[in-house]
Amino acid sequence: MTLLSRVVVPVASEADAAETAAALAAHDDEVGAVTLVYVVEKAGGAADKAGVEQREEAAREAFAAFESVLSDTTVDERIVYDTDVVDGVLDVAREGDATAVVFTPREGGRFVRLLTGDVALRLVTEADRPVVTLPRHVDE
Amino acid sequence: MSGDEELAKDLGPLAALTIGVGTMIGAGIFVLPGTAITDAGWFAVLSFVLGGVIALLTALSASELGTAMPRSGGAYYYVNQGLGPLFGSIAGWSNWLGLAFASAFYMVGFGEYIRAIVGPEFVLSLAGQSVAVPVSVKGIGLLGGAFFVTINYIGAKETGRLQNVIVVVLVAILTVFTVYGASRADPGNLPPGKGLSPTLRTTGLIFVSYLGFVQITSVAEEIKEPSKNLPRAVIGSVVLVTAIYALVLIVMAAAVPQGFIAAVPGNQVAVVEVGREIFSGLGSFLGITASGLMAGALLFGGLLATASSANASILASSRINFAMGRDRILTPAINEVHPRFGTPYRAIAITGALILVFIVAAPINTLASMGSVLHLVIYGLLNIALIVFREADVEDYDPSFHVPLYPITPIVGALVSFALIAYIDPRVILLGGVLVGAAVVWYLTYARSRTETEGALSEYVRRRSDELPDAAVDAADAVAPDGGQYKVMVPLANPASEADLIELGANIARERGGSVHAVHIVSVPDQTSLEYAAANVPKFDDTSDELLDRARLDAEELGVPVETSTIVSHQSFAEVFDAARTHDADMVVMGWGPEGHGAPGRVEGRIDELTQDLPCDFLVLKDRGLDPQRVLVPTAGGPDSDLSAEVAGYLRRAFDSEISLLHVADDVGDGREFLATWANDHDLGDAEQIVESGDVEAAIARHAADATLVIIGATERGMLSRLVSGALALDVVEDVDCSVLLAERPTNRSIRDRLFGR
Repeated sequence: MTLLSRVVVPVASEADAAETAAALAAHDDEVGAVTLVYVVEKAGGAADKAGVEQREEAAREAFAAFESVLSDTTVDERIVYDTDVVDGVLDVAREGDATAVVFTPREGGRFVRLLTGDVALRLVTEADRPVVTLPRHVDE
Repeated sequence: MSGDEELAKDLGPLAALTIGVGTMIGAGIFVLPGTAITDAGWFAVLSFVLGGVIALLTALSASELGTAMPRSGGAYYYVNQGLGPLFGSIAGWSNWLGLAFASAFYMVGFGEYIRAIVGPEFVLSLAGQSVAVPVSVKGIGLLGGAFFVTINYIGAKETGRLQNVIVVVLVAILTVFTVYGASRADPGNLPPGKGLSPTLRTTGLIFVSYLGFVQITSVAEEIKEPSKNLPRAVIGSVVLVTAIYALVLIVMAAAVPQGFIAAVPGNQVAVVEVGREIFSGLGSFLGITASGLMAGALLFGGLLATASSANASILASSRINFAMGRDRILTPAINEVHPRFGTPYRAIAITGALILVFIVAAPINTLASMGSVLHLVIYGLLNIALIVFREADVEDYDPSFHVPLYPITPIVGALVSFALIAYIDPRVILLGGVLVGAAVVWYLTYARSRTETEGALSEYVRRRSDELPDAAVDAADAVAPDGGQYKVMVPLANPASEADLIELGANIARERGGSVHAVHIVSVPDQTSLEYAAANVPKFDDTSDELLDRARLDAEELGVPVETSTIVSHQSFAEVFDAARTHDADMVVMGWGPEGHGAPGRVEGRIDELTQDLPCDFLVLKDRGLDPQRVLVPTAGGPDSDLSAEVAGYLRRAFDSEISLLHVADDVGDGREFLATWANDHDLGDAEQIVESGDVEAAIARHAADATLVIIGATERGMLSRLVSGALALDVVEDVDCSVLLAERPTNRSIRDRLFGR
């Protein structure tokens, strides 16, 4: 068993999924089973910022974008509902006993990070298993 | 339901109730009572109660529809499903714009509160210099509107939870106000009622205070146990706010002397001044007077209430946009979720722009009345939709809550909703009418060719077409969605013929102003589950993406819109039929060869059933290279040669093809006459016409030697299906050297089926 033999890959949008897939493709021969996760962020007892059905649709678009880039890899797709994105991702990793969580941090200034919470940082600090970050553009 | 989906529904009964109450209470109590009492005297109480009763009738219908269809989009969705996309467009646009008008109204109210707090001028001291900044109600409204739109654009989930707190605080403030105010009430204070007409006009104005309950249905998919909690929240919120409105109005009318409210200066808020007045005898505590405290609480409450109403309305309107985009009444592009914020940012930005424009453009009472009039339209339609669902015997319609006293409740609900419109300012009715008319035009010019939803109503009318008057059937036909533009589906199995099939399909689609849908049909062994195969397409066919990518490029090169998809199937040929049906294709262009769709005999079990029932026009190409320079069209008349002629026409326009028509008759003279007429009827009068007698197949083979493509209409029903599946051999196809295109047109589609896009 290697670090990448059973990975959980969070995707946030179509573009993010395509970039992550491209980054992962560079390590194609090491990557084993892939579980894609899209977390539908819930407000927890209040109306959500966007409809659930709407975000499930966005999740399917993200999954499709991932697969169109990395078409040879078998992927498992999970849409999960959680009040916290990081918790949602880590729960899936725990359930599937993943060897690592793999993601590509997205660009964003301080202001955007302030508004959305720094998901990347929290993922790294709160994880109970290895977290692998891949560079977004390999050749740049 | 899986555990995960259970988690997606996290709105409890209280949270659902506060969405309704929070949206409604801002307008009713904190902005309008002063105007209402001035206009209608103490009958203003009756105005609010009447508004509540009208709202309650519709709330009962909304509850039944909500438990039957707990989907995103609420009122719009029920009307669209019930009455079809024409009324769906009206309801969707009315709901969307109605909420934008209402939000603009709340924000102007918000501005009035800020001015009441800050005063008409705000003195800014900077570096010893004092500058007096005038406080403009509309300016504040614009700032507030921009702020709440931004909140929703970024999507702070805390605002949702804050809503619950706000509602509790508001109810507490109003309880203190009413309980103490009631002890000060004196019937002698009541300003005289002003008669029926002013009361009804006031009802029309204040009806904007009753929009909130229907927004609960727009988040129905998020409510826990909707069958129980949705009716409770919808009906409960109407009953609760009606009671609060009535009590507050009674206090306002009876606890202060007559004329007090009319004398409240324009830059103050009536309910705050009443609070100040009735608490004035209560002394003070720690230097703060009770009346100052009450006035402060009401001012603070007014800010919270108008803010929460606007916030909830902006949120609800984005759900309606989503549902409209899902049904293709609006472009689905509006549903894009922000990659960072996870919000429907486009819908919110557009709604936000509308709100700001409305704040600038219209006086506050017009904003309120526009919100009322557009929602009254929706409420009327919603009640009618309920009746349609009940009467049309819709299969999946299984509500857990049933409207009491059906059909009286929804009939009265629809009538009073529409009737109340008559009491609204005629200029506002006119503007509302223009918007409704614009929604109809929108449907006919934009949405009709895109949406595929057919309402329960027109299905019902069509099913009863014999019993119902022709006019009704014709009307249903006239506005039915036409199932999208002309769609040519091209099933691909063999990479070698991809380019030819797409070229042919795309050119036909271009001639018809339509689009191409390239489908890769992957056959998998019977032992493999389709679910597994769908998730692992590359294992069964690793050329899928490449093939579809090429198809996309080829079609795009011809300037034809294209979509692609992969279908996994055990029976690839039968799947073509299903796919054509589910995607509403108008024509299927497919290849046929030994490596084509399914081995002979594989689909025998279904063949007979299939042949009776072609889903659309079919063209099957025996591909020996597509070269449509010289096209031979043998004809004996009939529906399938109609299709051959149509296709020949497309080819001539697209490729400048030379067309030769061939007719074999026993009598050459009769044959000439027939062919000349036939050619003229099919716009091929200038094509070369060949008439011969003798053996048909020999004649075709002989003339095909000069041709590059032969188009043959099926001579019997189901010929194509049997040919392609190998159940029938047609020698002529093997006798010629060029490509052969076989055409078959379904005959069992009635005109009406075509009209309804089925």
